[in-house]
Amino acid sequence: MPAPAAEALPGQHILLSFLATQSQISLTRLYSKPSACLALFRLLNALERQIIMNYLWLEGPVSSNTMDVWVTRDGRAPYEAAMRTLASLQVLPSPKPGSNMLQLSPSFKKNFRLALTGGGDHMSFGVPCEKDLAGGVNVEMLDRYAANCWESILHFMVSSGTDGRASRPTKGILYLLDRSGLMAGQGAPKITSEGFQFLLTSPHAQLWTLLLQYLSITNERNIDMVEVIQFLFMLSTMQLGQEYSTEVFTNTYHSVLEDLIDYGLVYKRNPNRIYPTRLATTLTSGSSATTSSSAVSSQAQTGASLSGNSTVATAGGGFIILETNYRLYAYTENPLQIAIINLFVSLRGRFSNLVTGSITRESVRKALDNGITADQIISYLVTHAHPQMHKNNPLIPITVQDQIRLWEQEKNRVQIAEGYLWKEFTASTDYNLVLEHARSTSSVVWENEQARMFFVTPEGHASCRDFVNQRMREGGGFA
Amino acid sequence: MRAIKGVLLTCDSAVKQILLTLNEKEAFIVEDLDETHVIIAPDKVERVRQALASELEKNAFSLEANVP
Repeated sequence: MPAPAAEALPGQHILLSFLATQSQISLTRLYSKPSACLALFRLLNALERQIIMNYLWLEGPVSSNTMDVWVTRDGRAPYEAAMRTLASLQVLPSPKPGSNMLQLSPSFKKNFRLALTGGGDHMSFGVPCEKDLAGGVNVEMLDRYAANCWESILHFMVSSGTDGRASRPTKGILYLLDRSGLMAGQGAPKITSEGFQFLLTSPHAQLWTLLLQYLSITNERNIDMVEVIQFLFMLSTMQLGQEYSTEVFTNTYHSVLEDLIDYGLVYKRNPNRIYPTRLATTLTSGSSATTSSSAVSSQAQTGASLSGNSTVATAGGGFIILETNYRLYAYTENPLQIAIINLFVSLRGRFSNLVTGSITRESVRKALDNGITADQIISYLVTHAHPQMHKNNPLIPITVQDQIRLWEQEKNRVQIAEGYLWKEFTASTDYNLVLEHARSTSSVVWENEQARMFFVTPEGHASCRDFVNQRMREGGGFA
Repeated sequence: MRAIKGVLLTCDSAVKQILLTLNEKEAFIVEDLDETHVIIAPDKVERVRQALASELEKNAFSLEANVP
């Protein structure tokens, strides 16, 4: 399974860490589109953006010493971190050995200038169409469409296809979920422990997790990854509610477009014309991932409120009240949220805007059997706690927290390891000799000096047997 | 010196006592190592696991039945 890119630095967008692992040639090609330059710029943090602006309008290179004198002592560490990021993205490449002259990558400089000043016939921001006279497409409708698409994927994951109401996603999505390890099993995939963690993250992060996975399989599908990123960046700079023409799209764009329609990033009404949805236009809305995710989650709530009268719209989206007696009240009627809660709560009643239930040993056992950990349950409860709960300290009743952890431990009361028990050593020197060898292969599971016994893994056993046989042959001998 | 194939069970001492009781009905312990470790026969692992689970389950009481 391909790794979903390097570990992101705190506060850094996961796409940036992914891009940092790409070759210089790919990145230079990526920067040949003005929209890509602008979108990338929006993903960077404030300091990195300021550094780029400082360099952008300089024609020649600048000595790094000149830049250094601007940096205060306190600013040294953030400055260096920013310069490292920019260098890894090949935006501001590190100076060649023996030189200290810095300048923006020529391709980035040229095209970012173009993005800011306009002009050129690159068409990388999309080609807007005349207003569709048939009408019927507005921002609300697009939000509803995107929320439906996205939630149906999540709903499918959480119900693992057992819920008839959750429509089965397309093959492409199923493959992606399988490849990313979020669901496992052929034919009837089931959600994995990673899948549950995925459900707990913000919609923005979920989207990018899947898109990065999508990028990582572009190679085996013979799709040019750079073009895919350019296309995503292009969508992210488009305007919500505006229709765009697809006539200027390359073949790669067209094939990627089909997939993005499934994810709900793009809505297609007329042939050769598309509408980007909010999922697409918030893809790169700045380093402030919180604003973008709240935009999408508030939009997800509109989706819910349209399927009924939801009162989810409390600040921060928290809707769960948990009492010390393990009873849980969830102010929601979003089928997805109910399905997620149902993973670890035994639900008892359902009202127009509320579901009630309690956390029981059985319900937690069921979750644990599905590979969900106690910490994941608790962190979900914390993230989605109702504002009323925030008056409590600690947020989640300590009895419930401890009990969930205890139930988890109870499940792991017995550990099982296969292997071989070595025993009946006549002399302690023999015992120590063989044990020493087993230790060198770090395969000892258990040992007892007094009883002269130790337990090794199957691999360790084979190695020990060879060791003993060889010693016998060499006449080293054992007592 | 000899080596025997087996499965090492690591457990707490309470479970160990239950295992010893179960062992009297049907022997599966190959070697009783110490307070928290026993070796059992590889072909009995699944049986022991189930027996143990149902034994532990007897000591769990649920609120469910009492709630109106």
